[in-house]
Amino acid sequence: MTVPIAAYLALSLGLLVLGLIGVMRRRNPLMLLLSVELMLNAGNVALIGFSRQWDDPSGQVFALVVMVVAAAEVVIGLGLTVAIFRNRTNLDVDELSAMKG
Amino acid sequence: MASTTHRCWGTGRCRVGEQVLFAVAAIGTLGFGVGVVFFKDAFRAAVSLIGTLLSVALLFIALLAPFAAAIQVIVYAGAIVVMFLFVIAYLGDRGALPGPDRLDRWQVFGWLGLIGLGMFGTVAILDSTAGPARPAPDTTDVGSPASIGDAFLSSHLLAFEVTSLVLLVAAVGAVVLAKGAVQGEGGR
Amino acid sequence: MATALAWIVLVVPLISGLVLAGWPTEPPHAVTRVLGVGSILLAFILSATIFAGLLGNAADDRAFTSSAFEWISIGGVDVNLAILVDPLSVMMMLIITGVGFLIHLYSVEYMEHDRDYRRFFACMNLFVFAMLLLVLAANFFFLIVGWAFVGLASYLLIGFWYQRPSAVAAAKKAFVINVIGDVGLVLGAFLVLRTLGTLDYGEAFARAPEMGAQSGTALAICLLLFVGSAAKSAQVPLHTWLPDAMEGPTPVSALIHAATMVTAGVYLIVRCHAFFDLSWLAGDIVAFVGAITLLLAATVALQQVDIKRVLAWSTVSQVGYMVMAVGLGAYASGMFMLMAHAFYKAALFLAAGIIIHALNDEQSLDAMGGLRKYLRVAFFGMGAGCLAIAGVPGFAGFFAKDDVLSSALAYGGFGMFCWVVGVVGAFLTALYMFRLLFRAFFGPGPDGGYDPTPHPSRWWMSVPVVILGILSIVGGWLQVPFGWRGLDSWLTPVLGTGAEIIEPTHTAEVITIIVSLVAAFGGIALAWWLFGADPERRKRLAGVAAGPLRVMGDAWEFDRAYDDLFVDPGREVADVMATKVEPDGPQGLITGTVAVVRGASRVVSASQSGMVRAYTFWMVLGISLAGIVIALVLAGTS
Repeated sequence: MTVPIAAYLALSLGLLVLGLIGVMRRRNPLMLLLSVELMLNAGNVALIGFSRQWDDPSGQVFALVVMVVAAAEVVIGLGLTVAIFRNRTNLDVDELSAMKG
Repeated sequence: MASTTHRCWGTGRCRVGEQVLFAVAAIGTLGFGVGVVFFKDAFRAAVSLIGTLLSVALLFIALLAPFAAAIQVIVYAGAIVVMFLFVIAYLGDRGALPGPDRLDRWQVFGWLGLIGLGMFGTVAILDSTAGPARPAPDTTDVGSPASIGDAFLSSHLLAFEVTSLVLLVAAVGAVVLAKGAVQGEGGR
Repeated sequence: MATALAWIVLVVPLISGLVLAGWPTEPPHAVTRVLGVGSILLAFILSATIFAGLLGNAADDRAFTSSAFEWISIGGVDVNLAILVDPLSVMMMLIITGVGFLIHLYSVEYMEHDRDYRRFFACMNLFVFAMLLLVLAANFFFLIVGWAFVGLASYLLIGFWYQRPSAVAAAKKAFVINVIGDVGLVLGAFLVLRTLGTLDYGEAFARAPEMGAQSGTALAICLLLFVGSAAKSAQVPLHTWLPDAMEGPTPVSALIHAATMVTAGVYLIVRCHAFFDLSWLAGDIVAFVGAITLLLAATVALQQVDIKRVLAWSTVSQVGYMVMAVGLGAYASGMFMLMAHAFYKAALFLAAGIIIHALNDEQSLDAMGGLRKYLRVAFFGMGAGCLAIAGVPGFAGFFAKDDVLSSALAYGGFGMFCWVVGVVGAFLTALYMFRLLFRAFFGPGPDGGYDPTPHPSRWWMSVPVVILGILSIVGGWLQVPFGWRGLDSWLTPVLGTGAEIIEPTHTAEVITIIVSLVAAFGGIALAWWLFGADPERRKRLAGVAAGPLRVMGDAWEFDRAYDDLFVDPGREVADVMATKVEPDGPQGLITGTVAVVRGASRVVSASQSGMVRAYTFWMVLGISLAGIVIALVLAGTS
């Protein structure tokens, strides 16, 4: 590897932070899920980077598992979003605060 | 192909190639990522996500993981984003709640948290520059479908099975949610 | 044999009392009578049998103990459930069961129309059991147990008509003052245990001389025991409960507050004579208290208008005589007076009860007069009792009081002061008792006559009064001056023949007889002049010495003093505690804890906003904190 692993990790960190900012700031549930996808991808980058560095397939295996889980999560997440927000006028997660202290 | 050797590797030119590839992919990733987070329009954000995902696939290729890259493109960009687009088409017109963001006053904590995370990340990254005892090989079998398949079916068999279970659960969940939705609209 | 019978005597009233107490509904009166009265009759018969048995034995061989089981055994101290049958306890047993039986018989008719017939006999039986336990106990422990039960029974019986607030208050008053006495008694018992190492009578009295004559320990023990005595026997200053205790039914007053319970204090002193022999100062103090009580109560009795209150104060005064006697060391004289007093005071109370019953619960002397036409039996009973209590020769009171007074004179010194007080007291006793007799039975009736006509009682009530009246007359011949001293010789095995025992000398006897006769007849004459001859004279003379008479009538303002000293400050303290201290203190701890928890939880629950994004913020914060810690660790180790 000519590009040091640190670069990949820095990229991963940047993507993660971007995703976090998205999760915290966005009120549209769909945008929230998109930001979560970003974060998952950041994780994948780090995993595959390390897999290359240590020459071990485990990293890639795990990255594939992450992708599968991401897919499942998006399915359920979108299904829930549709189920909840079909009959509401606003797409806003702040509306969903029925359980409050 | 059993191995992923490229003719130019081993000479100096591919090094530069790798760096160029990395730079392009990195710019793409971050740029499209910013787009995902900051576009107001849901459709544009989803399309930016496609860009991000394709850039990440490029990164995977640079890291000699072609199978992962392929799956990334097919599953992520191909299926997941398409689902997003469908839902956005169904729901996307609606706006947010009127009025200011109720959590505005607390966002300082969020920023503090991100800064902290950044610091942690930086330290971790710097720590990782210690590097392994031996450098990564220039060519490797790891990354080929055969190698990954072998890993899945031998040392990571449990993960394999669990993954399939997760997919099953997701499928069932989707059917249940859909059924509810269909009944809600008067169907059976 | 004697002890076996004694156990039965002890247990029979207990069983009948418990059975009556536990009966689910109101049984037919016949059942209650058989159980309630029959048990006491059985007890009396058995007591008489024990007495006859003891008479058959030689004088030394009359003390038996019997232990049922070992109750406590710690560090060499054994406390057994044991009874002691000896001349003293048998004498008390006879009085308790004998007079008790007559009073129970009387109650059959007196309480006939009361709703709580069964409860009355249950409580009376339990009282008899408690009193028997008190006199039969062979150690201080069970003495205290019996003592406490007697106090409880007294409370139950004084407050028998619990719907009356005055009765409840009187019961509480009696109980509280009794508790003061209990404290003294228990402390005395502790001291006995500590000094002599045992609570058993036999051992304690045998080891008593170890304390040393006139020692501080002996004085302390005697005075503490006397506190118990004084409370139970209503001596100054613990006497205020007895007049109020007249709220109870008349048979209760007769049994408890005339014949038995109030004499428990005297019994205690006689039983512990081994201690009192060691401390003459204690004895003098006891005698002094008795003398003061005697005089004070007699003056108050003179002013009372309620027929039962006259008798109540009279009891206080007569018990004062007994206490005075035993304080000076004339134990047998004191016991003699106890017995005689039981007879004539019970007769007086029961006769008063006939009057009250006949006049439909009227108790005031102002509403009585000329009753001798209607209530002959009551007249006989009360007449015999008055003659006895005044000390007219031939009657029981004469012999008993003479015994006490001549013993006091023979004591010399302080005893002479007691003698003078006793003589004055005798004069006053004759005066107030014959005032009672003349105002109730002689003279014109109240204006308008009696409505309805007083009806005489049936045999249930008449027979006991007649029997007690006869006993008041002949009961005194047990111990005659210059003649045989039956009671002395009976009690000698218990009391010993030490130098501390006072026997009246011949001179003392003669002087006493003459002076007391003068006092007695003088009192009767004055009573006749004031109340009998011309019923209006007392009203004319009422203005004379009105001030002192009022104070005397108000019982020398003891009750008011106690209110000011103890009751009102106590109430104020309680008020402050309830309204200020408790809400701030113990309650405040609890409410404070609750408030703190509520406040804290309110603060914490504010974080449960229900908003996903807020939770995200928290999560990010948490993760980053964890990350910083890890980074620091990493940086530290590398």
